[in-house]
Amino acid sequence: MTEIIGTNWAWVIPALSAGAFFIVLPFRRYLPVQGAPLSIAAILLGFVLFWFVLADLLASGTADLSIRWLSVGDTTLTWGTTVDQISVTMLGLVTFVALLVQVYSLGYMKHDGKYDPGLGRYYAVHSLFVAAMLALVLADNLVFLYITWELVGLGSYLLIGFWYERRSAAEAAKKAFITTRIGDVGLLIGIVLLFRATGTFDISTLIHIAQNGGIEQGTLNVSMFLIFLGAMGKSAQVPFHVWLPDAMEGPTPVSALIHAATMVAAGVYLVARLMPLFELTPTVLVVVASVGVVTFVFAGTIALVVTDIKRVLAYSTVSHLGLMMLSLGAGGVGVALFHLVAHGVAKAMLFLGAGSVMHAMHEETDIRKMGGLRRRMPVTGWTFAIGAASLAGVIPLAGFFTKDEVLLRVLEYRHPVFIVLALFGVVLSALYMARLTFATFFGEPKSDHSEVHESPTVMTLPLLLLAIPAIGVGFFAFGLGDTYKGFAGFIDGHSKFHLNIWLSIASLVLAGIGIWIGWAAYIRGSLSTERIIDRFQSVHRVLAAKYYVDEIYQWVIDRIVLVLGRFIAAFDRVVVNDTAVDGTGDSVKISGFRMKFVQTGRIYNYGMAMAAGVVILSLIWWIVQT
Amino acid sequence: MIELAHLQVLAAALFSIGLYGVLARRSAVLILMSIELMLNAVNINLIGYATFVDFGEAQRALGQVLIIFVITIAAAELALAIAIILRLYRNRSSVNVDQIDALRW
Amino acid sequence: MLSQSLVFFYIAAALVIIGGLGVVLTRNIVYAAFALLAAMLGVAGVFLLMFAEFLALVQVLIYGGAVVIVVLFSLMLTRIQDFENLTDHRQWPLAALLAIGVFALLVAATLTTSVRVVERQSLGFLELGESLFTDWAVPFEVASLVLLVALIGSIVLVRTSGGRD
Repeated sequence: MTEIIGTNWAWVIPALSAGAFFIVLPFRRYLPVQGAPLSIAAILLGFVLFWFVLADLLASGTADLSIRWLSVGDTTLTWGTTVDQISVTMLGLVTFVALLVQVYSLGYMKHDGKYDPGLGRYYAVHSLFVAAMLALVLADNLVFLYITWELVGLGSYLLIGFWYERRSAAEAAKKAFITTRIGDVGLLIGIVLLFRATGTFDISTLIHIAQNGGIEQGTLNVSMFLIFLGAMGKSAQVPFHVWLPDAMEGPTPVSALIHAATMVAAGVYLVARLMPLFELTPTVLVVVASVGVVTFVFAGTIALVVTDIKRVLAYSTVSHLGLMMLSLGAGGVGVALFHLVAHGVAKAMLFLGAGSVMHAMHEETDIRKMGGLRRRMPVTGWTFAIGAASLAGVIPLAGFFTKDEVLLRVLEYRHPVFIVLALFGVVLSALYMARLTFATFFGEPKSDHSEVHESPTVMTLPLLLLAIPAIGVGFFAFGLGDTYKGFAGFIDGHSKFHLNIWLSIASLVLAGIGIWIGWAAYIRGSLSTERIIDRFQSVHRVLAAKYYVDEIYQWVIDRIVLVLGRFIAAFDRVVVNDTAVDGTGDSVKISGFRMKFVQTGRIYNYGMAMAAGVVILSLIWWIVQT
Repeated sequence: MIELAHLQVLAAALFSIGLYGVLARRSAVLILMSIELMLNAVNINLIGYATFVDFGEAQRALGQVLIIFVITIAAAELALAIAIILRLYRNRSSVNVDQIDALRW
Repeated sequence: MLSQSLVFFYIAAALVIIGGLGVVLTRNIVYAAFALLAAMLGVAGVFLLMFAEFLALVQVLIYGGAVVIVVLFSLMLTRIQDFENLTDHRQWPLAALLAIGVFALLVAATLTTSVRVVERQSLGFLELGESLFTDWAVPFEVASLVLLVALIGSIVLVRTSGGRD
């Protein structure tokens, strides 16, 4: 059954935003509101189209669409889209969050009634980023996926460095770009290795070949590990997490888009998309799970001591991405995506809430100077609380269900060590969320807030709209008779969510402990944070320094990379430049200088040579003829 | 009887003499005259073929017409060359080709 | 036994060769010009022997008249004393060698190539004129255009007054 608008129209969704980019960027000075409405209209249309695609997918199943791009030898590259349950989930999440973020930005980028002069550029790059992300989600072959993957990186670079006149923003943008690039090299090598082994870039063909044993196990192990490196970079897994907190230098709505639902989700998406390949390499899956659980706990501990509202959220994002990776490492594609969606909407809402707070407090980000803001900003405060509670795992919000499913999956498929660490991470996640919410919106004001007031409707409306899925998306876990088998069943067609009542209780209790500690420390005041810091001074110092990861990188760069770089630069100067490049030029110059004396400049010499040439050629021709 | 080969040998001789003149003489005017000799050698060859070879009824006049054109072009070339030589003489006060070495390094 | 035409041919050929050698060997440029005239007249004789009366006439008129006169005029307009003692380049032995080589090559080529020869056939004035103005009318007009261009070009080249020197 073919409909007029269906899965074959999926490619239109990114194309719309790409079109918006190409119109807004050059003509932003001539468009009303610098082209922002056009960009929003494109993504709105994309969101509407998503429902048609979803409906068609449910009605007639997955669909592939591909057109030939170019042929090299026996290899044919295609532009193509795959519409299946995984990509359509991401499609919905990305279009929904991007739409709300773009609407919200209209309010956020307006200061004292005037739009930011860079608004057009902001929306153009926003559209580029969204287009790249949507294309990445739909890509059906690894080359196309890699191209869009890099475009996403470019978009994030431009957005993080939006205020490029600020040195820290420019540095953060570079850091994000370069750090993810390290992983991307791995991804590229992995893709090429797979291509060498199979001769194809097409994902479904690759999976088919691999499942029939067409790829040597060693090659597969290495290439999947390298591809996972790319996912680690994009999804900010330890030790590539350093770019994400710094990326908070960008405008806050950008953080809501990039660091909640889209770019960081790309890594998770990549692993989920290639899960049939990862399943063939159990060793790499253990690595995925280990990296995930380490990141989950590691980032959670740092989030406890950071005082910048956006950075707490950033570390929380890193932490939850770790949880998704852990789930993928346990083979749970459905649960990972489920958590991705729940986390995506909740974290987007939290970031937008934080942006609302900063907008009201003149870019203040230190939570120690906030407090009691819920009375001044009720909508922001309560939506923020809902998002935080969802991520902390409070029943019956979305985060509770998704986190529970992840934990269950880990319990069933992985070593007990993983579940112990994961449960510890659950406590941390509840604790820092409680701390952030209580310190910002509850308790007593710690500075003068008399001028603070709620943000305009254009900003609060997206918050409210995001609150709906943040509360309700968890219920998709339950099946509905035979037609809908729960979210995991929707993704892979057979598995079902089920509840382990003891695990649920355990996680609820642990989350409750975390929230209780936060309540005690930040509202009732019965637990003095100063005393705790005093008691565990050394621990606090390590945490406040974020485990010295940045310092270690700095040391490596100073002592190893730069030294190596200087050596290579010297090699380049002396050997490559002076000898090879200049040497070639000089040899031509010198020989030309010497040889020019052969040229007399006298016509009759040339005439003589010409005549002699004619005679000799005629002789040769004659001899050859006879 | 006079034969084609006679004319061909005569043409070859005249052509070689002209070639020697072009390559060995120093004066531009003399080089020009040598070029005229070479053109005439070609004409001798042409008239030989026109007379001794049957090109068919339709092309009977071909050889002589070609000679007329060669003479025409030679005259045009000579007029231009003499003009160039006069110009050269005015600029350089000499028509010796070995003093015209602007191409030299 | 030499036939009459062959005798005339040898006379004409001798005139051509001697004239040619005179052009390239003499030390005086005026002599060279007259040697050229002699060679041209020899060629006109060859034309006559081939029953090409019109061509012989043209040869005498254009070469014997116009060309040699133009050359002499050019000598007059430049300093004639420059040409009284003409010398050759130092490369003249090489040039001679090369010229002999070319001659040998051409003669060898002539003798080894067989051409299907017929009896000498003549072409009358009338036939030539008719062919020239019917079959060859367009090239003929183009040739006249070339002459016109050469004429204008020469004038532009030698003009002094008002020209950009």
